[in-house]
Amino acid sequence: MLAVDLMGETIRALNGSMVAYDGQMNFKRQGMTGGEGLRGALRRRVAGESMTLMEITGQGTVYLASEATEVTLIPLQGDTLFVESESLLAFDGQLRTGVQFTGLRGMGTGQGLATTKVEGHGMVAILSDGPAIGLEVTPGVPLCVDPHAYVAHRGQLQQDFVTDVNWRTVLGQGSGESVQFRYQGHGLVYVQPAERGGGIMEI
Amino acid sequence: MPAFSPINSKMLQAPVGPGQELYSKRGAMLAYVGRVRFEPSVTGGAGIGGAIGRAMAGESAPLMHVTGQGSVMFGHGGLYVNVIELQGDTLYVEADRLLVYDASLQSGTMFLGEQGGLSGVIRGQMTGQGLFTTTLSGHGSVAVLSHGGVIELPISPQRPIYVDPQAYVAHRGQVTNRLKTSMGLRDMVGRGSGEAFQLELSGHGIVYVQASEKKI
Repeated sequence: MLAVDLMGETIRALNGSMVAYDGQMNFKRQGMTGGEGLRGALRRRVAGESMTLMEITGQGTVYLASEATEVTLIPLQGDTLFVESESLLAFDGQLRTGVQFTGLRGMGTGQGLATTKVEGHGMVAILSDGPAIGLEVTPGVPLCVDPHAYVAHRGQLQQDFVTDVNWRTVLGQGSGESVQFRYQGHGLVYVQPAERGGGIMEI
Repeated sequence: MPAFSPINSKMLQAPVGPGQELYSKRGAMLAYVGRVRFEPSVTGGAGIGGAIGRAMAGESAPLMHVTGQGSVMFGHGGLYVNVIELQGDTLYVEADRLLVYDASLQSGTMFLGEQGGLSGVIRGQMTGQGLFTTTLSGHGSVAVLSHGGVIELPISPQRPIYVDPQAYVAHRGQVTNRLKTSMGLRDMVGRGSGEAFQLELSGHGIVYVQASEKKI
Protein backbone atom coordinates (compact mmCIF):
# COMPACT_ATOMS: atom_id res chain seq x y z
CA MET A 1 0.00 0.00 0.00
CA LEU A 2 1.15 3.53 -0.72
CA ALA A 3 0.35 6.67 1.26
CA VAL A 4 0.73 9.98 -0.55
CA ASP A 5 0.62 13.33 1.27
CA LEU A 6 -0.75 16.01 -0.95
CA MET A 7 -0.60 19.75 -0.39
CA GLY A 8 -2.44 20.93 -3.40
CA GLU A 9 -0.21 19.09 -5.87
CA THR A 10 -1.39 16.71 -8.53
CA ILE A 11 -0.46 13.08 -8.94
CA ARG A 12 -1.57 10.61 -11.56
CA ALA A 13 -2.59 7.12 -10.48
CA LEU A 14 -4.16 3.96 -11.83
CA ASN A 15 -7.91 4.32 -12.23
CA GLY A 16 -9.77 2.98 -9.19
CA SER A 17 -6.66 2.39 -7.05
CA MET A 18 -7.73 4.63 -4.12
CA VAL A 19 -8.56 2.62 -1.01
CA ALA A 20 -8.92 5.43 1.54
CA TYR A 21 -8.21 9.12 2.08
CA ASP A 22 -8.68 11.97 4.49
CA GLY A 23 -8.95 15.66 3.82
CA GLN A 24 -10.25 17.09 0.59
CA MET A 25 -9.57 15.09 -2.55
CA ASN A 26 -10.68 15.35 -6.11
CA PHE A 27 -10.59 12.42 -8.48
CA LYS A 28 -10.77 13.07 -12.17
CA ARG A 29 -10.29 10.60 -14.93
CA GLN A 30 -7.73 11.69 -17.41
CA GLY A 31 -8.72 12.59 -20.87
CA MET A 32 -8.12 10.40 -23.86
CA THR A 33 -4.65 11.72 -24.45
CA GLY A 34 -3.34 11.35 -20.91
CA GLY A 35 -1.22 14.48 -21.24
CA GLU A 36 0.69 13.00 -24.16
CA GLY A 37 -1.03 14.91 -26.90
CA LEU A 38 -2.98 13.49 -29.78
CA ARG A 39 0.03 11.79 -31.34
CA GLY A 40 0.91 10.15 -28.04
CA ALA A 41 -2.61 8.84 -27.64
CA LEU A 42 -2.56 7.43 -31.13
CA ARG A 43 0.77 5.74 -30.57
CA ARG A 44 -0.54 4.26 -27.36
CA ARG A 45 -3.64 2.93 -29.07
CA VAL A 46 -1.57 1.38 -31.87
CA ALA A 47 0.87 -0.14 -29.40
CA GLY A 48 -1.82 -1.66 -27.22
CA GLU A 49 -0.14 -0.10 -24.15
CA SER A 50 -3.36 1.42 -22.98
CA MET A 51 -3.54 2.66 -19.44
CA THR A 52 -6.33 4.37 -17.63
CA LEU A 53 -5.18 6.99 -15.18
CA MET A 54 -6.89 9.43 -12.90
CA GLU A 55 -5.66 12.74 -11.61
CA ILE A 56 -5.77 13.24 -7.86
CA THR A 57 -5.56 16.74 -6.44
CA GLY A 58 -6.25 18.04 -2.97
CA GLN A 59 -5.08 18.46 0.59
CA GLY A 60 -4.53 15.47 2.83
CA THR A 61 -3.37 11.87 2.61
CA VAL A 62 -4.52 9.41 0.00
CA TYR A 63 -3.89 5.66 0.26
CA LEU A 64 -3.42 3.74 -2.98
CA ALA A 65 -3.26 -0.01 -3.54
CA SER A 66 -4.09 -2.53 -6.22
CA GLU A 67 -4.85 -6.23 -5.88
CA ALA A 68 -2.69 -6.61 -2.78
CA THR A 69 0.51 -6.33 -4.81
CA GLU A 70 3.73 -4.82 -3.49
CA VAL A 71 4.60 -1.20 -4.16
CA THR A 72 8.14 0.01 -4.92
CA LEU A 73 9.05 3.69 -5.05
CA ILE A 74 11.56 4.85 -7.63
CA PRO A 75 12.83 8.44 -7.52
CA LEU A 76 13.65 9.84 -10.93
CA GLN A 77 16.19 12.62 -11.35
CA GLY A 78 15.83 13.54 -14.94
CA ASP A 79 16.36 10.01 -16.19
CA THR A 80 13.91 7.67 -17.86
CA LEU A 81 12.15 4.64 -16.46
CA PHE A 82 10.77 1.96 -18.76
CA VAL A 83 7.88 0.06 -17.25
CA GLU A 84 4.93 -2.00 -18.41
CA SER A 85 1.75 0.06 -18.24
CA GLU A 86 0.10 -2.63 -16.12
CA SER A 87 2.83 -2.29 -13.48
CA LEU A 88 2.40 1.46 -13.02
CA LEU A 89 0.51 2.55 -9.89
CA ALA A 90 1.11 6.27 -9.49
CA PHE A 91 3.55 9.06 -10.32
CA ASP A 92 4.08 12.76 -9.83
CA GLY A 93 1.95 15.00 -11.97
CA GLN A 94 4.92 16.74 -13.57
CA LEU A 95 6.49 13.56 -14.95
CA ARG A 96 6.07 12.95 -18.66
CA THR A 97 4.91 9.64 -20.07
CA GLY A 98 5.25 8.16 -23.48
CA VAL A 99 5.36 4.96 -25.44
CA GLN A 100 8.56 3.21 -26.45
CA PHE A 101 8.51 0.51 -29.09
CA THR A 102 10.48 -2.52 -28.05
CA GLY A 103 10.09 -4.79 -31.01
CA LEU A 104 10.23 -8.52 -30.66
CA ARG A 105 10.74 -8.50 -26.92
CA GLY A 106 7.17 -7.63 -26.03
CA MET A 107 5.75 -10.08 -28.54
CA GLY A 108 7.27 -13.03 -26.83
CA THR A 109 6.02 -12.20 -23.39
CA GLY A 110 2.53 -11.27 -24.38
CA GLN A 111 3.00 -7.71 -23.22
CA GLY A 112 2.56 -6.05 -26.55
CA LEU A 113 5.09 -4.45 -28.82
CA ALA A 114 5.69 -1.42 -26.68
CA THR A 115 6.41 -0.31 -23.18
CA THR A 116 5.66 2.86 -21.28
CA LYS A 117 8.39 5.34 -20.46
CA VAL A 118 8.26 7.85 -17.65
CA GLU A 119 10.75 10.70 -17.52
CA GLY A 120 11.45 13.85 -15.56
CA HIS A 121 11.99 14.68 -11.91
CA GLY A 122 9.77 13.00 -9.32
CA MET A 123 8.58 9.79 -7.76
CA VAL A 124 7.14 6.77 -9.53
CA ALA A 125 5.34 3.94 -7.71
CA ILE A 126 5.39 0.59 -9.48
CA LEU A 127 3.50 -2.60 -8.70
CA SER A 128 5.02 -6.03 -8.44
CA ASP A 129 3.79 -9.44 -7.41
CA GLY A 130 5.97 -9.80 -4.31
CA PRO A 131 8.68 -7.29 -3.39
CA ALA A 132 10.68 -6.08 -6.39
CA ILE A 133 14.47 -5.95 -6.26
CA GLY A 134 16.64 -3.61 -8.26
CA LEU A 135 19.57 -5.39 -9.93
CA GLU A 136 22.47 -3.28 -11.06
CA VAL A 137 23.92 -3.66 -14.52
CA THR A 138 27.45 -2.39 -15.18
CA PRO A 139 29.42 -2.46 -18.43
CA GLY A 140 30.99 -5.87 -18.92
CA VAL A 141 28.59 -7.58 -16.57
CA PRO A 142 25.39 -8.25 -18.51
CA LEU A 143 22.28 -9.33 -16.63
CA CYS A 144 19.84 -11.98 -17.82
CA VAL A 145 16.24 -11.83 -16.65
CA ASP A 146 13.23 -14.08 -17.06
CA PRO A 147 10.80 -12.11 -19.26
CA HIS A 148 7.91 -12.98 -16.97
CA ALA A 149 9.66 -11.65 -13.88
CA TYR A 150 10.78 -8.39 -15.48
CA VAL A 151 9.02 -5.30 -14.13
CA ALA A 152 10.92 -2.20 -15.17
CA HIS A 153 14.33 -0.83 -16.03
CA ARG A 154 16.15 2.49 -16.12
CA GLY A 155 19.43 3.83 -17.36
CA GLN A 156 21.46 3.30 -20.52
CA LEU A 157 20.65 -0.30 -21.29
CA GLN A 158 20.57 -2.35 -24.45
CA GLN A 159 18.22 -5.23 -24.49
CA ASP A 160 18.45 -8.47 -26.44
CA PHE A 161 17.33 -12.05 -26.37
CA VAL A 162 19.13 -15.10 -25.18
CA THR A 163 17.58 -18.34 -26.26
CA ASP A 164 18.39 -21.79 -25.16
CA VAL A 165 15.96 -23.73 -27.28
CA ASN A 166 17.06 -27.23 -28.22
CA TRP A 167 15.44 -30.54 -29.08
CA ARG A 168 14.37 -31.07 -25.47
CA THR A 169 12.35 -27.86 -25.47
CA VAL A 170 10.68 -28.89 -28.69
CA LEU A 171 9.68 -32.19 -27.12
CA GLY A 172 8.15 -30.33 -24.18
CA GLN A 173 10.92 -31.32 -21.80
CA GLY A 174 12.40 -27.86 -21.41
CA SER A 175 13.61 -26.41 -18.15
CA GLY A 176 11.14 -23.57 -18.43
CA GLU A 177 13.99 -21.10 -18.79
CA SER A 178 14.53 -21.21 -22.53
CA VAL A 179 14.25 -17.51 -23.21
CA GLN A 180 15.80 -14.67 -21.28
CA PHE A 181 16.31 -10.97 -21.71
CA ARG A 182 19.89 -9.82 -21.56
CA TYR A 183 20.67 -6.28 -20.48
CA GLN A 184 23.99 -4.64 -21.22
CA GLY A 185 25.23 -1.21 -20.36
CA HIS A 186 24.73 0.85 -17.24
CA GLY A 187 21.52 0.91 -15.23
CA LEU A 188 19.07 -0.85 -12.97
CA VAL A 189 16.61 -3.65 -13.74
CA TYR A 190 13.66 -4.31 -11.40
CA VAL A 191 12.63 -7.94 -11.03
CA GLN A 192 9.70 -9.45 -9.14
CA PRO A 193 9.72 -12.84 -7.37
CA ALA A 194 6.83 -14.18 -9.42
CA GLU A 195 6.32 -15.05 -13.04
CA ARG A 196 3.44 -13.71 -15.04
CA GLY A 197 1.55 -16.07 -17.27
CA GLY A 198 0.77 -15.54 -20.93
CA GLY A 199 2.76 -14.99 -24.06
CA ILE A 200 4.11 -17.48 -26.53
CA MET A 201 7.17 -18.22 -24.44
CA GLU A 202 5.56 -20.61 -22.03
CA ILE A 203 8.23 -23.17 -22.69
CA MET B 1 -5.88 -15.02 29.16
CA PRO B 2 -3.24 -15.54 26.45
CA ALA B 3 -4.25 -13.92 23.21
CA PHE B 4 -3.83 -15.17 19.70
CA SER B 5 -0.21 -15.23 18.58
CA PRO B 6 0.63 -14.73 14.91
CA ILE B 7 2.93 -17.37 13.40
CA ASN B 8 3.44 -15.36 10.23
CA SER B 9 1.35 -12.81 8.40
CA LYS B 10 -1.09 -15.45 7.20
CA MET B 11 -1.32 -17.93 10.07
CA LEU B 12 -2.02 -17.66 13.76
CA GLN B 13 -2.00 -19.89 16.80
CA ALA B 14 -4.71 -19.78 19.44
CA PRO B 15 -4.75 -21.59 22.79
CA VAL B 16 -7.81 -23.62 23.75
CA GLY B 17 -8.62 -24.76 27.28
CA PRO B 18 -11.34 -24.76 29.90
CA GLY B 19 -13.00 -21.37 29.78
CA GLN B 20 -11.03 -20.52 26.65
CA GLU B 21 -13.22 -21.58 23.77
CA LEU B 22 -13.28 -20.25 20.26
CA TYR B 23 -15.59 -19.80 17.33
CA SER B 24 -13.92 -20.02 13.95
CA LYS B 25 -14.73 -20.06 10.28
CA ARG B 26 -15.64 -23.61 9.37
CA GLY B 27 -12.71 -25.46 7.80
CA ALA B 28 -10.10 -22.84 8.68
CA MET B 29 -8.17 -25.13 11.04
CA LEU B 30 -4.70 -25.97 9.71
CA ALA B 31 -3.20 -28.00 12.53
CA TYR B 32 -3.62 -28.54 16.23
CA VAL B 33 -1.80 -29.87 19.27
CA GLY B 34 -3.57 -31.60 22.16
CA ARG B 35 -7.13 -32.80 22.48
CA VAL B 36 -9.29 -30.39 20.58
CA ARG B 37 -12.86 -30.87 19.35
CA PHE B 38 -14.49 -29.08 16.45
CA GLU B 39 -18.26 -28.92 16.30
CA PRO B 40 -20.29 -27.19 13.66
CA SER B 41 -22.10 -24.30 15.22
CA VAL B 42 -25.16 -22.61 13.85
CA THR B 43 -25.63 -20.03 16.51
CA GLY B 44 -22.05 -18.79 16.80
CA GLY B 45 -22.76 -17.83 20.39
CA ALA B 46 -25.58 -15.50 19.49
CA GLY B 47 -28.42 -17.72 20.71
CA ILE B 48 -31.31 -19.17 18.74
CA GLY B 49 -32.86 -15.78 18.13
CA GLY B 50 -29.56 -14.49 16.91
CA ALA B 51 -29.12 -17.48 14.62
CA ILE B 52 -32.51 -16.91 13.02
CA GLY B 53 -31.69 -13.26 12.69
CA ARG B 54 -28.41 -14.10 11.03
CA ALA B 55 -29.98 -16.56 8.64
CA MET B 56 -32.57 -14.00 7.64
CA ALA B 57 -29.92 -11.33 7.30
CA GLY B 58 -27.72 -13.42 5.06
CA GLU B 59 -24.82 -12.78 7.46
CA SER B 60 -24.39 -16.48 8.08
CA ALA B 61 -20.88 -17.62 7.38
CA PRO B 62 -20.64 -21.19 8.66
CA LEU B 63 -18.84 -21.33 12.00
CA MET B 64 -17.47 -24.05 14.20
CA HIS B 65 -17.09 -24.22 17.96
CA VAL B 66 -13.59 -25.17 19.10
CA THR B 67 -13.24 -26.70 22.57
CA GLY B 68 -10.80 -28.94 24.43
CA GLN B 69 -7.25 -28.52 25.64
CA GLY B 70 -4.36 -27.56 23.41
CA SER B 71 -3.56 -25.05 20.73
CA VAL B 72 -4.92 -24.66 17.23
CA MET B 73 -3.45 -23.05 14.12
CA PHE B 74 -5.75 -21.19 11.78
CA GLY B 75 -5.43 -19.78 8.28
CA HIS B 76 -7.62 -19.44 5.23
CA GLY B 77 -6.97 -19.22 1.52
CA GLY B 78 -3.54 -17.60 1.84
CA LEU B 79 -5.20 -14.41 3.06
CA TYR B 80 -3.58 -12.06 5.54
CA VAL B 81 -4.67 -12.43 9.16
CA ASN B 82 -4.92 -9.53 11.57
CA VAL B 83 -5.59 -9.85 15.28
CA ILE B 84 -7.71 -7.14 16.87
CA GLU B 85 -7.98 -6.94 20.67
CA LEU B 86 -11.28 -5.77 22.05
CA GLN B 87 -11.45 -4.10 25.46
CA GLY B 88 -15.12 -3.71 26.05
CA ASP B 89 -15.78 -1.97 22.74
CA THR B 90 -17.56 -3.18 19.65
CA LEU B 91 -16.12 -4.29 16.34
CA TYR B 92 -18.22 -4.13 13.17
CA VAL B 93 -17.08 -6.64 10.57
CA GLU B 94 -18.44 -8.67 7.69
CA ALA B 95 -19.23 -12.27 8.71
CA ASP B 96 -17.19 -13.82 5.91
CA ARG B 97 -14.07 -11.91 6.99
CA LEU B 98 -14.10 -13.42 10.49
CA LEU B 99 -11.47 -16.12 10.88
CA VAL B 100 -11.61 -16.86 14.60
CA TYR B 101 -12.77 -15.10 17.77
CA ASP B 102 -13.02 -15.76 21.50
CA ALA B 103 -16.24 -17.46 22.49
CA SER B 104 -16.46 -15.02 25.39
CA LEU B 105 -17.25 -12.21 22.94
CA GLN B 106 -20.88 -11.41 22.29
CA SER B 107 -21.73 -11.61 18.65
CA GLY B 108 -24.75 -10.10 17.06
CA THR B 109 -26.13 -8.86 13.83
CA MET B 110 -26.78 -5.24 13.22
CA PHE B 111 -29.16 -3.87 10.68
CA LEU B 112 -27.30 -1.18 8.84
CA GLY B 113 -30.44 0.86 8.58
CA GLU B 114 -30.06 1.58 12.29
CA GLN B 115 -27.03 3.59 11.43
CA GLY B 116 -27.86 6.25 8.98
CA GLY B 117 -31.40 5.25 8.15
CA LEU B 118 -32.17 4.97 4.48
CA SER B 119 -28.69 5.89 3.40
CA GLY B 120 -27.39 2.97 5.45
CA VAL B 121 -29.58 0.66 3.44
CA ILE B 122 -28.34 2.17 0.21
CA ARG B 123 -24.78 1.86 1.48
CA GLY B 124 -25.28 -1.85 2.10
CA GLN B 125 -26.73 -2.36 -1.34
CA MET B 126 -24.11 -0.35 -3.17
CA THR B 127 -21.13 -1.91 -1.46
CA GLY B 128 -22.44 -5.42 -1.87
CA GLN B 129 -22.17 -6.04 1.85
CA GLY B 130 -25.83 -6.70 2.34
CA LEU B 131 -27.93 -4.76 4.76
CA PHE B 132 -26.54 -6.41 7.86
CA THR B 133 -23.16 -6.58 9.47
CA THR B 134 -21.82 -8.66 12.33
CA THR B 135 -20.93 -7.04 15.63
CA LEU B 136 -18.58 -8.44 18.26
CA SER B 137 -18.37 -6.87 21.69
CA GLY B 138 -16.73 -7.62 25.02
CA HIS B 139 -13.18 -8.46 26.03
CA GLY B 140 -11.14 -10.77 23.84
CA SER B 141 -9.37 -11.26 20.53
CA VAL B 142 -10.72 -11.35 17.00
CA ALA B 143 -8.82 -12.40 13.89
CA VAL B 144 -10.02 -10.96 10.59
CA LEU B 145 -9.06 -11.93 7.05
CA SER B 146 -7.95 -9.47 4.45
CA HIS B 147 -6.52 -9.51 0.97
CA GLY B 148 -3.06 -7.99 1.14
CA GLY B 149 -2.93 -6.95 4.79
CA VAL B 150 -4.70 -4.10 6.52
CA ILE B 151 -3.76 -0.68 7.77
CA GLU B 152 -5.43 0.99 10.72
CA LEU B 153 -6.58 4.52 10.17
CA PRO B 154 -7.68 6.50 13.23
CA ILE B 155 -10.84 8.53 12.89
CA SER B 156 -11.35 11.72 14.85
CA PRO B 157 -14.15 14.28 14.63
CA GLN B 158 -11.86 16.75 12.89
CA ARG B 159 -10.54 14.12 10.53
CA PRO B 160 -13.13 11.96 8.83
CA ILE B 161 -11.77 9.13 6.71
CA TYR B 162 -13.06 8.22 3.26
CA VAL B 163 -12.72 4.58 2.25
CA ASP B 164 -13.32 2.72 -0.98
CA PRO B 165 -16.26 0.41 -0.09
CA GLN B 166 -14.48 -2.59 -1.59
CA ALA B 167 -11.35 -2.00 0.49
CA TYR B 168 -13.25 -1.57 3.76
CA VAL B 169 -12.65 -4.46 6.20
CA ALA B 170 -13.97 -3.50 9.64
CA HIS B 171 -14.33 -0.62 12.04
CA ARG B 172 -14.65 -0.04 15.77
CA GLY B 173 -15.65 2.78 18.09
CA GLN B 174 -18.30 5.47 17.91
CA VAL B 175 -18.38 5.84 14.19
CA THR B 176 -21.13 6.90 11.87
CA ASN B 177 -20.89 5.92 8.27
CA ARG B 178 -22.39 7.51 5.26
CA LEU B 179 -22.13 6.81 1.56
CA LYS B 180 -20.64 9.70 -0.32
CA THR B 181 -21.08 9.94 -4.02
CA SER B 182 -19.11 12.11 -6.32
CA MET B 183 -20.87 11.12 -9.46
CA GLY B 184 -20.32 13.47 -12.29
CA LEU B 185 -21.09 13.69 -15.93
CA ARG B 186 -17.95 11.70 -16.65
CA ASP B 187 -19.21 8.70 -14.66
CA MET B 188 -22.45 8.72 -16.60
CA VAL B 189 -20.67 8.39 -19.90
CA GLY B 190 -18.38 5.65 -18.58
CA ARG B 191 -15.30 7.76 -18.18
CA GLY B 192 -15.26 7.95 -14.40
CA SER B 193 -12.19 7.80 -12.21
CA GLY B 194 -13.45 4.57 -10.65
CA GLU B 195 -13.94 6.35 -7.33
CA ALA B 196 -17.55 7.44 -7.61
CA PHE B 197 -18.59 5.95 -4.27
CA GLN B 198 -16.80 6.43 -1.01
CA LEU B 199 -17.66 5.48 2.51
CA GLU B 200 -17.36 8.45 4.84
CA LEU B 201 -16.57 7.45 8.42
CA SER B 202 -16.69 10.10 11.08
CA GLY B 203 -16.65 10.15 14.87
CA HIS B 204 -14.16 8.44 17.19
CA GLY B 205 -12.63 5.11 16.31
CA ILE B 206 -10.48 3.09 13.96
CA VAL B 207 -11.19 1.80 10.49
CA TYR B 208 -9.34 -1.17 9.00
CA VAL B 209 -8.60 -0.90 5.29
CA GLN B 210 -7.11 -3.63 3.09
CA ALA B 211 -4.61 -3.14 0.29
CA SER B 212 -6.87 -4.46 -2.39
CA GLU B 213 -10.30 -4.02 -3.80
CA LYS B 214 -11.08 -7.72 -3.81
CA LYS B 215 -13.86 -9.28 -1.76
CA ILE B 216 -13.35 -12.57 0.03
